[in-house]
Amino acid sequence: MKTWNNIKAVIRRELRIFRQRPIYLLGSIGAITFCTVFFLTFFRDGLPHDLPMGIVDNDDSSLSRNFIQQMDATQLGKVVMFDNFEEAREAMMSGKVTSVCVIPEGMYADVSANRRPVFTYYLNGLYFVGGALAYKNILTMINLTNGAVQRQVLRAKGVNENAIMGRIQPISIDTHQIGNVTTNYGYYLSNMMLPAMLELIIIIVFIYSLGAELKYGTSRHLLKTTDGSMLDALLGKLIVYTVLFSAIGLVLIICLYHWMHFPIAGSIWNMFLAIVLLVLASESMAIFIIGCLPIPRLALSVGALYSVLGFSLTGFTLPVEALPPYIQGLAAAFPLRHYFHFYTQEVYFAGGFAGWYPEVIHLLLFLFLPLTVIKRLKGAYVNQNFPTN
Amino acid sequence: MAKRETYARTWLKDFCYIACNELKQIFSDGGVMLIFFVAGLLYPLLYNVVYLNGILNDTPIAVVDEAACSESRRYIRELDATREVEIAYKCINMDEAERLMKERKVNGIVLFPRDFGEKIQRMETSTISVYCDMSCFLYYKNVLMSTNHVMLHEIGRIQVERYAAAGFTDIEAAQLVQGIPYEENNPYNQAFSYSIFLLSAILLVIIQQTLFYGMSLLVGTQREQNRSFASLPYHLQGHGMGRVVLGRGFAYWGLYMAIGIYIALIVPAIFGLPQRGQFWNIMALLLFFVTDCVYFSMTFSTLITKRESVFVLFLFMSPICLFLTGTSWPTTAIPGFWKVFSYIFPTTFGVQAFINMSTAGGDLSTAHDQMIALTIQTVVYFFLSTVAVYIENWIIRHKEEIEERKAALEKEIGIDFHEEDRKMIAGE
Repeated sequence: MKTWNNIKAVIRRELRIFRQRPIYLLGSIGAITFCTVFFLTFFRDGLPHDLPMGIVDNDDSSLSRNFIQQMDATQLGKVVMFDNFEEAREAMMSGKVTSVCVIPEGMYADVSANRRPVFTYYLNGLYFVGGALAYKNILTMINLTNGAVQRQVLRAKGVNENAIMGRIQPISIDTHQIGNVTTNYGYYLSNMMLPAMLELIIIIVFIYSLGAELKYGTSRHLLKTTDGSMLDALLGKLIVYTVLFSAIGLVLIICLYHWMHFPIAGSIWNMFLAIVLLVLASESMAIFIIGCLPIPRLALSVGALYSVLGFSLTGFTLPVEALPPYIQGLAAAFPLRHYFHFYTQEVYFAGGFAGWYPEVIHLLLFLFLPLTVIKRLKGAYVNQNFPTN
Repeated sequence: MAKRETYARTWLKDFCYIACNELKQIFSDGGVMLIFFVAGLLYPLLYNVVYLNGILNDTPIAVVDEAACSESRRYIRELDATREVEIAYKCINMDEAERLMKERKVNGIVLFPRDFGEKIQRMETSTISVYCDMSCFLYYKNVLMSTNHVMLHEIGRIQVERYAAAGFTDIEAAQLVQGIPYEENNPYNQAFSYSIFLLSAILLVIIQQTLFYGMSLLVGTQREQNRSFASLPYHLQGHGMGRVVLGRGFAYWGLYMAIGIYIALIVPAIFGLPQRGQFWNIMALLLFFVTDCVYFSMTFSTLITKRESVFVLFLFMSPICLFLTGTSWPTTAIPGFWKVFSYIFPTTFGVQAFINMSTAGGDLSTAHDQMIALTIQTVVYFFLSTVAVYIENWIIRHKEEIEERKAALEKEIGIDFHEEDRKMIAGE
């Protein structure tokens, strides 16, 4: 009963602080709202279309014009014509066009005479998505052109129309993009970027909340509220922040999978569980960081470093397998990494409990972290013997 | 004439005093030193280590070969030989492959249907099914690229065999199969390496963000201790904002030119990132970019009133800045509003200019638009930061007056705000 009263007192105190200093709500609700609006509108197109693709037409024949029209008609591409290669190269270097196709002089004549003119293309792989998509588009177009040339010849030889396709394309590929049928970058990135942002915000705001007690010397007052019990003080703070961040997390999940209709194979209820676990694990990590370094500014800097690194080490952009071996193990130290596994199981494969239960355990393991530093943090709170700036 | 000289001399004296004072502040603040020198110097190294390889090789895939014919076996062998994928499992049926996919042991499945070989023999189009793990697009890209490249190769091979059987010579067959051979060039990033494009962008984002955080930290501290930078020139009586802004800017500018040279020129050399640019072009870019970042930070740090609050309020902007540069998501696909929003940040132009000149090896003309944008930004931010200092200085100088007014107002309403505040925090 006493514990409960202590906790209630801390909760009341925390809510007062929220009212006094808008930074907590601004840093959590304000920040995540901005991020949500940003990511959901930024990738509005899902897949970029009308990418500028440069073409230098040295041939100027009906064949080359046809090719250019076809290229322009693709969903991905928009043709930008250049008079010479020099100009086109300059435009590609400055990122104005994603690629340059050079149609050789006399291509039509050479094709007609079976002289096999060489078609050359250049890609700018530094503007990543644009370059990669342009590559895909050019490859498709040039193979279609080759097919068209072959079809002309086969038609001239009197092969029947049905048989032509089998000859031009003996093998075709039927691609199934599991869980993201339209190759939507918005689905792919927002699905992970938003929880990643939430993790970053939780770690920073919670470290700040615990650090502010040290910085403004109110830590003794906090302990007085709970009759000197550090555990009660932490629990009280945790309850307030868990409710706040879980609410944000739940709204985020509802927003993604319900309002925005992001594809989800499994159940949205399981994703609720995932986000709450992510919240708890991130909070534990925040306590651990400030507990190890009870100097607000240092703890915040380390927290910032840690949470920003989490974006890279989670492996949703560049998979962890591609990182250097000595970095790979570190990935497990980020709650987000486990959330990523959980989410993959639930959203893509509907793995259910059997699929994601190891991740639940991993995320719950983070909850032990605060226990290792609680004594040290209490020492800092009581003695206030660490630099506050 | 004599008077003018005196003015210039005073100006210079003030300028030097302010710049030195700012440097003193920077070097006596542990937190700022940590951000400038530990984060500024270590972050680039750390990111380079993390993205050292940058290329995903040998993505494990499962193969379900229901056809079990010579064509499918050859296809599988060739698939296994590609850089992108590795045949990790050969499964008897789709169930087994699906299970492996769910267990995350494979990131793709290739299914050869029972009639795969038959259809090829019958000269029909035979279809193979590819199932991709979309949780990470690089898996998808690898599986898609490898299966398609092998498909193109196999198509060519099957056709050549058929034409040979029909009595065509090799040359005739080649003319038919590939009437227009193509030549691929990806000069700046040959294997679509993730690290080359991302690191080039991250490096400059680090310059901007560490400068902004460090400066905000210092500004917040000074405000907390009631010695805002704006109150520096006492004897100026609200005049001479130019030398305050320029003097402070110069201190950061000097430091960050050094850090910038390290980040933009030395770090890429250490890790073997492509450095195809001319040295003086990169220096010119740094000159513009760092100056811009200094006044950008000065403008926005005026929003910071408390020491640590910059992290709470603005840390989440770093990843967003990276997206706004247009290196990953193409600029042409960025919605109009965010495109305009991206003009706020120096990195939007700095990163593009850096990529064009340093990584792609262009000259200044390839960064023409970006350099102009950086210049405009610098002018705007210089103006804004001057206005900010002017306003703050005015408030500081008229503090007593404002306090008096406030007190009078409080008396009028009959509430003692301060006592109330104290009570609220103490929880009484």
